[in-house]
Amino acid sequence: MTILAFSRAFWPLFLHVLAAMTLFGALLAAVVVAVAGLPRATFASLVTALPAWAVTLACAYWIEHDEGLGNANATWLSIGHGVLEPGLIVLLAALATAYWWRRSGKPLAGRICASLSGVYLLLLVVAFLAMSGKWGS
Amino acid sequence: MPAPKRVTVDTSQWLLMLHVAAAFLFVGGSVAAGILNVLALRAERPSETALLLRLIRWTLPVVMLGVLGTLVLGIWLWHQLSFSIGAAWIWVSLALWVVANALGGIGGRHQERSRELAERLAAEGDAPSDELRALLRDAKGTAMSYAAGLATLAILVLMIWRPGS
Repeated sequence: MTILAFSRAFWPLFLHVLAAMTLFGALLAAVVVAVAGLPRATFASLVTALPAWAVTLACAYWIEHDEGLGNANATWLSIGHGVLEPGLIVLLAALATAYWWRRSGKPLAGRICASLSGVYLLLLVVAFLAMSGKWGS
Repeated sequence: MPAPKRVTVDTSQWLLMLHVAAAFLFVGGSVAAGILNVLALRAERPSETALLLRLIRWTLPVVMLGVLGTLVLGIWLWHQLSFSIGAAWIWVSLALWVVANALGGIGGRHQERSRELAERLAAEGDAPSDELRALLRDAKGTAMSYAAGLATLAILVLMIWRPGS
């Protein structure tokens, strides 16, 4: 993290990193409580992930605008967008299955929810490694 | 036929990537533990509170890996990138790292006491208890956890801002 900032403006990067870390933490909590068989707690954890996702994305565009990266073709940027943006579909699908699980109590819904949250968590790990290591830059 | 392009990654890039990964584990794991703690506060039955507080242990390996990784890789990066030995923001970050871990440890012990009481109450009929509610909302224990979170946030601010460098 030491040279992460380079010469960039503080706020967009700080909020982007903090929100991404919160998103990671909320998904980790969702996976843990889903595996433990707690539908209400899983739903609540995934709800926490939604604003974190929105702030991460908004600040990513803020940084891109300020840094003139809109047309950049770097691998690390493509991976970041490729994980974050379609990730909303995975996140909403996990939230929907958590809601279904909470209402129906069906273990299948819990397993699907845990899997979706786990997959998104792993994709986030790939994204933050790619972005911090500036893969392909 | 042209030779395939080789992308070389130097030591600094590797260290930076792993240092940021460790920071994600440290902060993300702490956020996960915080969410489980809040869910435990809001649980109705002691058995549910006890389970949620027990689940915090699952996040601890993630937090510990992050805690150790940020320190070791951070000091290595300090040397690798030839930052001044007198860089105040690094020394303040190190002091905050110690404070965050000490306060987090005290907050964790408070959670352990809450979990033990919740487990005892769960075994004795699992009825909602004012004693458990009071212990979970104890001002000192809660303040320690919040202060640990603020110290961690301050480290993140310093790492991104890097005042004076």
